[in-house]
Amino acid sequence: MTRITRPWRRRHVLAGMAGALSAGLASAGRAAPSGQPVRVGSTLSLTGPLAQTGIVHKIAGEIAVELINSRNGLLGRPVEWVLLDDQSKPEVTRSLYEKLITVDKVELITGPYATAPILSAMGVAQRYQKLFLQSSMGIPKHLTYEMAFPATPFGPEPNKSYPKVVLDAMAGTPTPPKSIAILTSKFPSAQFMAEGTRDVAKERGLNVALYLEYEFGTRDFGAIAARVKDANADFLWLGALGLDSNLLLEAMKKLDYTPKRHFHLYPAPGPLALSPDGDLALSSTFLEPAPPFTDRADVPQLAAMYKERATKANVPYAELDAQGAGMYSQWQLLEQAVNGAKSLDDKVLAQWLKKNGADTVFGKQRFDGAFNHGEPGQMVRQVQNKKWVVVWPTQFAPPGVKLIAP
Amino acid sequence: MTAQRTISGAGVAAGVGLLALLPLAGLPAFYDSFLYMIFYWISLATSWAILSGFAGYFSFGHAAFFGAGMYTTATLSTKFGVPFLVTLPAAAAVAAALAFGIGAVVFRLKRLRGELFALLTLAVSFVVATIILNTAIDGGAGVLTSSVSVPRLMPTPSGTIYLLGLIMCVGTLAITYAIAHSRLGLGLFAIHDDEDVAEVKGIPTFRYKLIAFAVSAAIAGAVGGVHAIYVGFLTVSETFGISVPLYVVLMSVLGGARHWLGPAVGAAIIAASLYAFTSGEQAMIGRGIVAFILVVAILILPEGIVPSLRRWWQRRQSRRAAPPAMADAPGIATVTAPREAGATVANLHPPTRVVLEVGDVHKAFGGLHALRGVTLDIREGEILGLVGPNGSGKTTLINVITGHFPLTSGSIRLDGMEIGNLAAHEIAARGVARTYQIPRPFTHLTVLDNVALAAAFGAADLGRAASLVEARRWLDFTGLRAKENVLPADLNLHERKFLELARALAARPRLLLLDEVLSGLNPAEIDRAIGMIREIRAQGTTIVFVEHLMRAVVELCDRIAVLNEGALFALGEAGAVMRDPRVVSIYLGKAHAA
Repeated sequence: MTRITRPWRRRHVLAGMAGALSAGLASAGRAAPSGQPVRVGSTLSLTGPLAQTGIVHKIAGEIAVELINSRNGLLGRPVEWVLLDDQSKPEVTRSLYEKLITVDKVELITGPYATAPILSAMGVAQRYQKLFLQSSMGIPKHLTYEMAFPATPFGPEPNKSYPKVVLDAMAGTPTPPKSIAILTSKFPSAQFMAEGTRDVAKERGLNVALYLEYEFGTRDFGAIAARVKDANADFLWLGALGLDSNLLLEAMKKLDYTPKRHFHLYPAPGPLALSPDGDLALSSTFLEPAPPFTDRADVPQLAAMYKERATKANVPYAELDAQGAGMYSQWQLLEQAVNGAKSLDDKVLAQWLKKNGADTVFGKQRFDGAFNHGEPGQMVRQVQNKKWVVVWPTQFAPPGVKLIAP
Repeated sequence: MTAQRTISGAGVAAGVGLLALLPLAGLPAFYDSFLYMIFYWISLATSWAILSGFAGYFSFGHAAFFGAGMYTTATLSTKFGVPFLVTLPAAAAVAAALAFGIGAVVFRLKRLRGELFALLTLAVSFVVATIILNTAIDGGAGVLTSSVSVPRLMPTPSGTIYLLGLIMCVGTLAITYAIAHSRLGLGLFAIHDDEDVAEVKGIPTFRYKLIAFAVSAAIAGAVGGVHAIYVGFLTVSETFGISVPLYVVLMSVLGGARHWLGPAVGAAIIAASLYAFTSGEQAMIGRGIVAFILVVAILILPEGIVPSLRRWWQRRQSRRAAPPAMADAPGIATVTAPREAGATVANLHPPTRVVLEVGDVHKAFGGLHALRGVTLDIREGEILGLVGPNGSGKTTLINVITGHFPLTSGSIRLDGMEIGNLAAHEIAARGVARTYQIPRPFTHLTVLDNVALAAAFGAADLGRAASLVEARRWLDFTGLRAKENVLPADLNLHERKFLELARALAARPRLLLLDEVLSGLNPAEIDRAIGMIREIRAQGTTIVFVEHLMRAVVELCDRIAVLNEGALFALGEAGAVMRDPRVVSIYLGKAHAA
């Protein structure tokens, strides 16, 4: 078990030495939390196939716990994060949440990463009537538990809302696309979004020149690239996971084909941004470590601390992005609910969140819609000069940055 | 012994009963869940071993059957509203039907043994996953099963899942125990060691493999049905991933795949170790330690934990026990064949009734014609010598008679009934037994089990207890009784030759085919073997005696058939044939014949 209580003081000092962060961590004026720690349990995929993203959540979660403890903890008590490794297995996730609740007797829980572990853990939370916060579940309709809350603003129907954002961005360019090719991995959340994009594209009168699903784990994109080239659509929408994007772009390059515009749902951000093929690639995001997001409370500190630790941990893409921010947001929800409701009672906390929402790194979040989801907050980002920048909606783009549409 | 078994049975039943009541003990629900995971892996690993451990058909496709069960339960319960418990037999049936279909094709092809079978089963997993992924069964979106109503068998949901896992586990172990101690199990163990010999010894190998595959898959399917509810959300990539087949193989190998309890021990150790290092801080180190321990354990105990412990225990017991009171020490057996009630000693007059008719038999291997129209009668009670130079077709003829090779053309009739188109095990059941020129014992079975197996599956068709009695009689006869508990690898060449003889005799054959049983023996051993063969014939057994040692051929045989270049060259009374200049010429050259 990871118990983050004592180390936080040392890390606090280290973090304070990180230049601009020190202001945010200056807690001299506040009372340090004391007494028995509030034990918060969760699992993350620290080994197994999801471990690459699991480490991102771990780093962000550790920062969140340190910062909460640097303030006033929860109800004046320090937070102890009891973190277990679910090994990327839903069945292990389930039993470890049962362990956290019935053996370790944690007072609160937060959710794991990825759809299947989240749904396994949610079942346990529901049986024990625990507040359940998670940040990476892209299919809200499965979150049927009344005390489950999203820490990332997907909105209740991201399959409808997000395609609108992406296609709005395209429609706002001087030469809006008239045709679209949609490819997607047969991964539940990606496929869910691809189907929504197809529907919205048709509603808007776009010609869906190609709709193709490929198996999760596909590595040879030669034949798929040929289909994309044949379709030669104005806009390529790719429900990609991880390195799918790079592999597909490379395969198309071998066919002397470069898509005019290309969007990638969940790519590996570093490899795509740094690849020559990834220039001007579009992708989804909720936050980037740049203005105007850095005007929000906690974001500058979080971004700097995250970058430092992610670099140290050899995370391939050391910039804060939606995954790390989502984990941090989970803890923000917990902190605000506990301190706002002045309670550790799960039902009271759920009612408080439902009523008040929370101010997170993603902005103000409300939970008054279907499946406890509020307004969607998806944005479009683009690789420009080998960096991701938000380009749509335009009010979230950094000064001087615009969507480049070849 | 019976009382002891009754007490043991009662103890096991009481233990299972207590385990079933565990959820009522008020322990934290995690233990229900943790133990469920142990039961889950025990059931999967043990079910895998029924085919792959016992029969040696290594499968990497267990996820296909497990996944078929998961999706059957998920589909029936979420899309058709079928009660959860009703879906479990359906999950088992779908998985069993899948295995049956695959096995019915694959098990007929000899070339699909070993690694090709492993690769094929892995491919089956991919095919099943692709079908499920690209149809309405999943379609890529996953199936949410967390809302499926599960009957309250216990006060808590985790207790109910625990109980279902326990039932699956106990059921699986009971089925596997029963198989391991049955004719089916004995047959599967023999298939593991040498499938061709097993078939010739009377084991219906195709049917046995098919049964084992279907039972193995059915259990995996039912376990998958329960697990579909446990995980709450199914995706094709997680269900049909490589982790299930890899884990079950690892667990079985660690515990000992050939023992009914081995996979359970391996599964319990590995499944528990999954929870030994779940700390967020030491996750990677913990997994590394577990992997290292497993590698070391497998290196030290290559046969697995349970067989190694069993062997250690047997050695310890045998050291403590007094030396067995044997009638005969090895090599000094009294040459007296056991006689069955009613068995008649053959009269010494020339036999006349034909037992086996070989009619115009041809056997070709591609362009090579090993047998070219051999026609031969074998008479009841005689010893027919089958001689000829190397490559003349003697062993091929034996292989054809016993069904080891199919005929290219011609007919073979046993007691007037055509057997040329029968499977080898059916021919064995009709009373044809053979030895191998190079002994081919079942290497993982003891000397006693090697012989008992022949008694159980040959023409004798005896039950387990009777087959052991029969086996010991023939071990006495061949002087191997003192070595009944050793493995064939611990025998020397002449003992292995006599083991071949013993297991051929234990089948109580009407026709015994001895293929160079004397080769490699010293003169004293040859004399002893000749005495044994006389004794066997004296009981009325008809013998075909393939041998190069002419002294023995002349001493023993009533008639001699000479094969040359795949054709019958000469046939007749022993002395006359051996004096035939043409026969001498093919053995020694024309100068000697002249």
